[in-house]
Amino acid sequence: MTGTIKTGMVALLLLGSTGTAYASTQGTFGATSTGSVNINASVPARVRISGLTDVDLTNSDPSMNAAVAQNVCVWSNTATRGYRVTATGSGAANAFTLANGALPVVPYTVEWSGTSGQSIGTSLTTGSVLAGQTSSATVQDCSAGPASSASLIVRVGSSALQAMPAATTFTGTLTLVVAPE
Amino acid sequence: MSVLGKARVTGAPFFRRRRETPHLVLRGGLLLLTLTIASPTTAKVRISSLSDVNFGAISNLTIDAIQAQSICVYSNGSNNGYSIRADGSGSGGAFTLSNGVTTMAYTVRWHNQAGQSNGTVLTTSALLSAQTTTAQNQTCSSGAPTTASLIVTLPATSLSSAGAGNYGGTLTLIVAEE
Repeated sequence: MTGTIKTGMVALLLLGSTGTAYASTQGTFGATSTGSVNINASVPARVRISGLTDVDLTNSDPSMNAAVAQNVCVWSNTATRGYRVTATGSGAANAFTLANGALPVVPYTVEWSGTSGQSIGTSLTTGSVLAGQTSSATVQDCSAGPASSASLIVRVGSSALQAMPAATTFTGTLTLVVAPE
Repeated sequence: MSVLGKARVTGAPFFRRRRETPHLVLRGGLLLLTLTIASPTTAKVRISSLSDVNFGAISNLTIDAIQAQSICVYSNGSNNGYSIRADGSGSGGAFTLSNGVTTMAYTVRWHNQAGQSNGTVLTTSALLSAQTTTAQNQTCSSGAPTTASLIVTLPATSLSSAGAGNYGGTLTLIVAEE
């Protein structure tokens, strides 16, 4: 039995207010002349999720639960580095299910942890926000600092695996949306 | 015999060196000392037409944000030359903006022609010498209205790692005659 889940990413943005305007000063005529300009910029709240890899449950033993955990990078530039995450599946009504044509769909579960290297996390419900997450990432793609900052865990229960015909590939897409907090 | 001293001061614009030309004249037993001083006009410069650099809300943090402006630099030095240095308002004059909590680095470039979007990178407090200007007067009120370009860049590397918020800072430009 084979199950493949393609993970996706979407980053949301929130715009901040613009910076305050000041006044430049002009130089006077002299041996030296000094002028100045004020520089203003506004950086909106941003997040990014990256480092995602497809979940491959090929040849899972149907006598036991199958689970795949992966470390991902979530970066947030808010003062608290906070974010929230929402997951949706590609099944009917965004259900977390894998499909193969007319065969019965195979359900899976999704868990999320705000730290990397975890094999257990908070269970996600499709379309529901998991708030209050905090990232340790210092750059948006985790190319510096921590290489990852969160864990995504996908599970397919033994009973679901046993319902799948052998040597048949089931696929689905899991979409993860993060937003700044 | 008495000695009288008489000094005549004559303005001589653009003289770079102080000149003194004494003359001794003996007339009818009167020694008249005439001292002519050609008063030098110190070479002077002026930077003007500066505008604040407002990046506003930057929506794309993955590309450099660039703001260029044309300004007026006048120099009455030889060859209309000048040097320029820039100081930021960050620690040690660093080119950084602050939101009160964190800082964000920016870069400064200079070009001695107006209308440019690229130029020589300035290092804080370091002189960029051998610049020349075509300004005809100190405010560029005649001739070309601007003579140089100031380019301020917020690199993507700064933007993409910056915390959300409003950032501000001051860039000071000091021009000296050369």
